[in-house]
Amino acid sequence: MKTISTLLAAAMISVASAQTLSIKGSDTLGAKLVPQLAEGFKAAGNADVKFEIAAEGSTTAFPALANGTAQIGMSSRQVKDDERTICLTKGVYIKEHPICHDMICVIVNKNSPLAKLTKDQVAKIFTGQVKDWSEIGGTPGKISIYTRNTSSGTYKDWQKLAMDGRDYPSSSLKMAGNEQIAQEVAKNRNGIGYVGLAYAKTAGTKTIIIDGVEPVAANAKKYAYARLCYFYAPDKPSAEAEAFMKYIESDAGQDIVRKVGFIPVKDV
Amino acid sequence: MFNPETLIRKGLPKGHFKDVAARSFLGGITYLVVSIAVLLFAKIIADGAPVLFKPEAPFVDFEFLTAKNETLHVFDDAQGNRHQLPAAAYSQYVSQHEGATQFNEQTYSYSGGGIAGPIAGTALLTIGSMILALFFGVSAAIYLSEYAKQSPFIHAIRLAILNLAGIPSIVFGLFGFSVFVLAVPVITSAPSDRSLLAIPLLIGDYFLSFQGWNSSLMAGCATLACMILPVIITASEESLRAVPQGFRDASLAMGATRWQTIRKCVLPFSLPGILTSSLLAITRVAGETAPIMFTAAVAAKDDLPWQGLKNPFDLLSSQVQALPYHIYTLAARIPSSEFTQRAQYGSVFVFLLLVAFLSLGSMILRAKLRAKLKW
Amino acid sequence: MPHEDPQPPEPAKRFQKQGFSYENAIKFFFASNAGLTIVILALIITFLLKEGLGFFPGYQRELEVYRIAGLEFVDISRKNLTAHEQITSILNRSYYAEINGNCAHQMHRSQEASALVNAYSDLTGPTRDLIVNNSQPDSSPSPEMLTNLKKNFEKQKSKALSTLPPTPHLTPEERQALIESIRSRAFDATEDPPLVASLATEFAEAREKQVKPLERLRTTIDTFESAGSELSSLVSEMTGSVTATKEKIQHADILEKDRKTLLAAASGAKDPVEREKLIAAAHASLAEKPDIEGPINILMERRPACIAVHQSLKDAAASISTQLPNSLTQPEATNLLKVAHNLWPLFLADLEKTPQTINDWNHKTPVPLSTAISSFLTGKDWVTGGEWQDFYGILPLAAGSLMISIVALTLAIPSGIGAAIYVNQFASKREQSLIKPVIEFIQAIPSVVLGFIGILIFGTILRDLSLMDSLRWIPGFPIEERLNIFTAGCLLALMSIPTIFSLAEDAINNVPSAYAEAAEALGASRVQTTFRVIIPAAFSGILAAVLLGFGRVIGETMVVLLVAGNRIKIPDFTSGLGTFFQPCHTLTGIIAQELGEVPLGSVHYRALFVVGILLFAVVLIINATAHRFVNRMRQ
Repeated sequence: MKTISTLLAAAMISVASAQTLSIKGSDTLGAKLVPQLAEGFKAAGNADVKFEIAAEGSTTAFPALANGTAQIGMSSRQVKDDERTICLTKGVYIKEHPICHDMICVIVNKNSPLAKLTKDQVAKIFTGQVKDWSEIGGTPGKISIYTRNTSSGTYKDWQKLAMDGRDYPSSSLKMAGNEQIAQEVAKNRNGIGYVGLAYAKTAGTKTIIIDGVEPVAANAKKYAYARLCYFYAPDKPSAEAEAFMKYIESDAGQDIVRKVGFIPVKDV
Repeated sequence: MFNPETLIRKGLPKGHFKDVAARSFLGGITYLVVSIAVLLFAKIIADGAPVLFKPEAPFVDFEFLTAKNETLHVFDDAQGNRHQLPAAAYSQYVSQHEGATQFNEQTYSYSGGGIAGPIAGTALLTIGSMILALFFGVSAAIYLSEYAKQSPFIHAIRLAILNLAGIPSIVFGLFGFSVFVLAVPVITSAPSDRSLLAIPLLIGDYFLSFQGWNSSLMAGCATLACMILPVIITASEESLRAVPQGFRDASLAMGATRWQTIRKCVLPFSLPGILTSSLLAITRVAGETAPIMFTAAVAAKDDLPWQGLKNPFDLLSSQVQALPYHIYTLAARIPSSEFTQRAQYGSVFVFLLLVAFLSLGSMILRAKLRAKLKW
Repeated sequence: MPHEDPQPPEPAKRFQKQGFSYENAIKFFFASNAGLTIVILALIITFLLKEGLGFFPGYQRELEVYRIAGLEFVDISRKNLTAHEQITSILNRSYYAEINGNCAHQMHRSQEASALVNAYSDLTGPTRDLIVNNSQPDSSPSPEMLTNLKKNFEKQKSKALSTLPPTPHLTPEERQALIESIRSRAFDATEDPPLVASLATEFAEAREKQVKPLERLRTTIDTFESAGSELSSLVSEMTGSVTATKEKIQHADILEKDRKTLLAAASGAKDPVEREKLIAAAHASLAEKPDIEGPINILMERRPACIAVHQSLKDAAASISTQLPNSLTQPEATNLLKVAHNLWPLFLADLEKTPQTINDWNHKTPVPLSTAISSFLTGKDWVTGGEWQDFYGILPLAAGSLMISIVALTLAIPSGIGAAIYVNQFASKREQSLIKPVIEFIQAIPSVVLGFIGILIFGTILRDLSLMDSLRWIPGFPIEERLNIFTAGCLLALMSIPTIFSLAEDAINNVPSAYAEAAEALGASRVQTTFRVIIPAAFSGILAAVLLGFGRVIGETMVVLLVAGNRIKIPDFTSGLGTFFQPCHTLTGIIAQELGEVPLGSVHYRALFVVGILLFAVVLIINATAHRFVNRMRQ
């Protein structure tokens, strides 16, 4: 028993957490862009800052901010009122920092003859009203819908932007990340899915022109499913967090944004 | 004369074909399973071994084991040569070739560098949880085999061990998350809002606050230790019971106390057995993903767990990367292409190699033990 | 010589008298460590229950909000709307199946030609893109690089041209011409070869021809489709207003909770100034009670309009059903029409009942706790994080777990037990020393590695297999998703074989050798002895092995998370054995996928703990039964 209590005591004293920059949230941002931004940030003379990046979906950002387990939350959508309230109740006043523009691209298998869809058709496909490619003039085959899982900001954005707030059909497959959607669509002739712009160039897939607008950086204003992506941080961020966000807003940071495949904030 | 011998050898017995059929059917099934397993290993070895081994001396690519995990940059230079560089080397390259353009640049997360972080994290998690589990497990086993008599208490313990052994690992994950991450007590001067109960201590401004250890190495170790505890107890008890009763009787007859008997005459002889079976337990602890997903693991962390700590306790309270979780990330979060294969198959290969060493070690030790200890 | 006992030291004796001693302390220490197992089990149960039990009242409140905000009312109409959309979809599919079926020849020709071109560009595309990108005026590549790339491109081109897919519907001359035109076209050409275009026009013309005779069907379908537009706009209109009400109620709930937290904090505060502050904050967050009656009354006033819309849809639907043909020339089209005809009476009956349901609906009907419990246990939807309403129904997850276990056990039981019998009864010593370590090593493979193998290797192999024409006869082939129940089941089978094998082998080993000796003495052959004597004697042990294997399968997480496909839907059992090739989601998978995202203490968070409790209980029951069998065998 004595040993147990010694162990417990040793464990309990060690609550002060290490000075690392912990970033949590969106997979769209966290799987590719933010690690590279972090690497760029370190190369730019901040080698002593430690990063911890967990990209499980935008919804994870706000509980983590509220609980103090993250200094920065990445989100591919805007914070919801109730999430802001939850943070408030824990004494965290979160502030919004737009870091880049993104376009949600509809992708299909490369071998699909489809090249264009209208917004209405997209809505019909993703709400399950249209179940077979032949119904919208494609080659016959049952449509396989790949969506993100529920924690994703893209999942919710898509519901708002493209589906008029309706629910996904239960026949949709919920994937852990953008890359996984692209992978499955690349391997399934009848697949359709949506991914962030940075993931739209996966081999074996092609992007769909929506209402005559191609999802490329130049069309960011015209494209139907364009959105801003954000960092959220407490109004008094730690020094590292502040420096990191400054870096992202700088030209060097925005260059990385462009290189990875997102659209810099200023370009729109 | 009638020779009974010929009668027997006259022909095959009636059921012979049935015999052969049944036997070959069962054998076929068995070898099918074996060959599937062998094929599987062969595939992973074929894809993964080139990552770790190289044809020239020293034959092992230590860089993959010792380098940090980074983003991989793939690009062509102006001469048309293809480069694959991890992030740090890439930024060095860019600064050296000032003004040169990189063509066709692609980036792959988690695919560059090595897997030092995940290996270190898994090692820490394993060591931590095994220390806890061996300490408590062996003590419990000593009680069960040396002291316990039939009683409701013992019955309850056995029932608990039995039930703990069957609980799915994800339920341990839930348990670890709700108990170790969110509820265990810590001493702090500022109890968090979600604290279940904050008891003011009389020294200074400190509180004993039941708010958990957050997602940390410590919480992960504790969760894994709980999971492996029944295995350790059962195995240790078996080893303890394998020590002949005569040893104890002799020792007690000499006037030794029970504790002296255990310490001098039972434990030393059962220790090899305990350690052997705990090697197997290590393979399980090292391989589990579900319990550490929410209690300890983080996908990307750019320092090794022990680097840049202000005080040694920070090691326990920081999150770590772990090999199984890293493999999960590699399988689910990045595309599979010729550039990511190195990271993907290499990690799996290293992991499997580790597990193979441990279980092979335990098998050999067990065989040796059986040969050596005969009483 | 008699030895005199030395007197034991005094103090120890005195301690012993009082019940203390060094020895007892040690014993107590070990006992307390053994008791730790009970503590851990108790903690697991307590914390699962602590987090889980709060789910039901929380879910009850959510369902209550669902009702009082009027979402449930809208869902009455939405259900009919969805049914209407489904029937429209079936009719459309039938229409297109007829058209495409009638010009299948042209379709195949066109498809094969473009598949050929696609296969070619798949292989050469990346290099081609490189050349094109680097030849842009603004980039400055070195000439060597371009020559290198071009050389590469030529190499890939000839390789691609030799590995083109078969084109059974094209004549050899056409194929040759197509290949020639690919070969000869400039590398940066993007337009399709002329044959592809002409085949596409051919197909389009053929379709055009088919459209004419089906004009009547088309108009019928269009009439039916447009008959739903009124209902559709009504539903989306009501959706907006009820969602606003719901948000208001939820916001008030949050504020109310905050107020209670603040007040609780205030009552605990010692410093009077602090307390005043907290109480003031609590008063500030006192929410106005959201107006429920107002919006609901507006909604209720629309009842007659709502009923009228349904009525007109019903009339339209009834008249349209008679205009539909009973059969078409293509079997698939006829089948789909039949499905539509079968659905029609159900649809009409639903529409018939709707006005009654609308009139009977009352937002004041209370939602008892039992509704929350039953809708959790029997709910067919697990919808979370949506814009509309979250539902927590366990059935799709339980069905997924069960289906995967069925596949895994169907494969693992025969092979595990078969291998156990073989190794124990028939194998030579050398075979044993080969087989046992391999199977034991399978057990040591971490599950995430198996999941990795499934997602990167096995799933793709299975899907490619299913696309082979010679395997079309297998139900469910060709499979739609490479991640499905069967893929996961196979990997889990591999995982549970060692468990079943080693436990079954133990059981067989534990049969007293006298049994076998007696049987052999009576003249039984080895196989007879094994199957008539040993296996029956070891039966309950083997059963326990199977049960423990089942426990392992149902509790496995990483493989199913990666490989099962994560579709939250009860598998469609109408497709027979093909059901096993559908994706699904599981009890364990949902916890792993969603626990990281949920706000602590939310209903969703608690729902995951209830799933955990369920898993815990199921596995506990399985284990208890297994151990009962083991004990029976021991006796």
